[in-house]
Amino acid sequence: MSKIKHNIIFRSLILCMIAGLFTFTCLRDGAAQTSQLFRVYSTEATGKIAETSDAIAAGKKIYEIKCYYCHGIKGDGNGSDAPRLDPKPRNFTRNEYKIRSTGQSVLPTDEDLFRIISSGVEGSAMPFWNTLTTDERWQVIYYIKTFNPEFKDKGERAPVSLGGGIASSSDSIKRGEKLFKEAKCILCHGEDGRGDGQLTTTLKKQWDLPFKARDLTQGWMFKGGNTEGDIYRTVTTGLNETPMGSYADYLTDEDRWHLSHYVKSISHGMKTDVVLKSKLLAGNLPAGPEDAVWDTLETIELPLAGQIVASPRFWTPSANSIRIKSVYNEKNIAFLVEWDDRTDEQSEVYSDAVAIQFPTKTPEGLKKPYFAMGDSSNNVELLHWRAYDESVLAAQRTDDSIETETDGGEDVEEEAGDEDAEAATEQEVENAVEETIEEFENFVTIKEMNAKGFKRLSVQPDKSQNSKGKSQWKNGKWQVMITRPLVTADKKIDVQFEKGNLIPYALAVWDGSNSEIKGQKSISSWYYLTLEMTTPNSVYIYAIIAVILAISIQLWVVARIRRFPTEIPS
Amino acid sequence: MAKKKMANKKNSYSMIMVVVSVLIVFVIIKVIAPYAFMILLGKDHTMPTPSTLMLWYMILAILACLVYVSTSDLKWANFLSFILPAGDDKFKALFQKMIIIAIPLLVGWFVYSGTVPGTASPVELRIQHPTLPQEFEKMENPFLHADEATKRKCIEEGKHLYQQNCRPCHGSKADGNGPFANAFRLRPINFTDPGTIATVVEAFAFWRIKEGGPGLPGVSTPWDSAMPAWKDVLTDTQIWKIIMGEYATAEVQARQREEMEH
Repeated sequence: MSKIKHNIIFRSLILCMIAGLFTFTCLRDGAAQTSQLFRVYSTEATGKIAETSDAIAAGKKIYEIKCYYCHGIKGDGNGSDAPRLDPKPRNFTRNEYKIRSTGQSVLPTDEDLFRIISSGVEGSAMPFWNTLTTDERWQVIYYIKTFNPEFKDKGERAPVSLGGGIASSSDSIKRGEKLFKEAKCILCHGEDGRGDGQLTTTLKKQWDLPFKARDLTQGWMFKGGNTEGDIYRTVTTGLNETPMGSYADYLTDEDRWHLSHYVKSISHGMKTDVVLKSKLLAGNLPAGPEDAVWDTLETIELPLAGQIVASPRFWTPSANSIRIKSVYNEKNIAFLVEWDDRTDEQSEVYSDAVAIQFPTKTPEGLKKPYFAMGDSSNNVELLHWRAYDESVLAAQRTDDSIETETDGGEDVEEEAGDEDAEAATEQEVENAVEETIEEFENFVTIKEMNAKGFKRLSVQPDKSQNSKGKSQWKNGKWQVMITRPLVTADKKIDVQFEKGNLIPYALAVWDGSNSEIKGQKSISSWYYLTLEMTTPNSVYIYAIIAVILAISIQLWVVARIRRFPTEIPS
Repeated sequence: MAKKKMANKKNSYSMIMVVVSVLIVFVIIKVIAPYAFMILLGKDHTMPTPSTLMLWYMILAILACLVYVSTSDLKWANFLSFILPAGDDKFKALFQKMIIIAIPLLVGWFVYSGTVPGTASPVELRIQHPTLPQEFEKMENPFLHADEATKRKCIEEGKHLYQQNCRPCHGSKADGNGPFANAFRLRPINFTDPGTIATVVEAFAFWRIKEGGPGLPGVSTPWDSAMPAWKDVLTDTQIWKIIMGEYATAEVQARQREEMEH
């Protein structure tokens, strides 16, 4: 009998634990808002109607209401909006169709066009036109086909066989990795697939625009879908009028699948979050961007947009996302910002750069400074790292490792009006903070600035410069570690990192090779940083006291009811 | 055994019913409602129930159950009888123990999650319709009384301007899905949504385009709107044309100003 009783207690305990676990998972809010940001490519192509002259006429009407602003009235991809677009709209008069199920240099099938019109193209301005009825979409397709007489002359275009497929496995991925090198994919796509291969900067299309090899690590940017099947299709059919040719003759069917599995395996989705948690470290902060400690931390990736808030606005930014992690100890806080950039070529004027923006005063209510460079009554602080400046400063250090000299390298100021920039240049002296924190020995001082709007940007005085940075560019990826003391003496112009606060932060990135400078940059909106705290023991004690109290009250109630049971009226 | 159960009329499970119904309410609000609203409102993401709303619904559910079981002496006695010794009824014994263990655990959990240091998710509200400032109130589209041909021309010019300037965020289709839209946590407005520009007069749209986020009144903080103030590059005429093009692209009509007697 006692065994049975024991059993019951055990079972009820387990049941309670399951219930508790269930509640816990339910109460945990927001299991990340990923993937919903980006489109899903539909493979459907249904409801095809006959290609009649009526359908073409109807398609013309729709085209001239919805499509021609980008694609041009003549279908040559030269609509009024084209100058502000990157990638450029498709030119329908040529066979430059990219996402097709047909062989190399063959025009796409009607179904291919239908799929792209229905789903749009991520990373471009092409929207998903599933808001048009299927009939309307077919009509537009028939009209688009009239721009290129080859559609009529060459007749039916047969899709290549895209069937079969083998399951992904670690062996297959390994084989794919080998093929990625053997088939010379790395020449354009780069060793890690970030589109930074050695050929990438040399390939130019008309008007000297570069052919940018796809960054294969950004899963959401795969045009035409990011499933293995989609990748296989692109490898098989190639992209017309680009250096990406068809590999159907070069690699066997099976090898192309291996390759697709590998490409899929190196891509990642965008994992974004509103709050970035800075983790508390007991000892020293990481020694640089390559430190293994960073690998243990959670990364948040933020989508970026061109700076469109103040003129001159910027429509064609290079970076579309940035990753950030953070860690702190008693004295300092460190950030690792990472973003993909195909080159690390710098010039004095156009340099890769990144800035983290904080309000100088952590807002108490809902009111934050304006997200782009603050506003007249709300100051923001910018920690601004510039690749060119770092290389100059680092070179100087090796020249005269003991004495610090005036720095001649600092030059153009981003955002500031030109006069501000010149005024700031003269003040730029490198020997800013003498109390070099030994923890960050090989770091260079990065610029701390304050802004009260786009036109009112100022560099902090030398004695207030207390942020340091160190970077590395490798295989198409910048990693910049930026560190600053948690609290500083300049309470008026510096953000103070205090535990328990939600500190808004925003990021901006410049790509020098895309001639980005000043307001020509990629920006994010406000997100929040919080310094993670250790749980004090009192919390556990309170919880235990509460549990004990609950048990005793419960037992008292049970005892009382059992002693004086309520009469059940008959 | 079965016979005994029948004989023991005091065995009522109404307390278990109460616990189960409260749990069902919880599951509905927490898990089912987000998906239901996703489908009903045609959104592409789940719509989680806000935690304060959740708390209130749960309190209401528990209160409702307690009111129900105390509506008659019989029900109340039945409800309490669950606490009486279970005797041979193994299930009752099992449930009793579960409840007895679960209640202190829940209390402990609430105290823990209430006192553990952490930062609450930031609260961000958006004021959908800030009041139109007076200087804009009387403004009228200069092309309002133009002839049809001029209007058509303005709309077409406005559509080009819209595509050039507004499209990156608000999208080619005016659905708030431009290529830059993801970067702004307060997403650009979907103009095709009947709850947006269709509910305001054209002068309101004019104000929002001209002054943008920085021009919002103090009450419309937290200043998260990324809407630029377009007065720096667009003329008033261009803005009016954009408005005409914008409404045409979104295929909605602006609210008409009610005739006021002076």
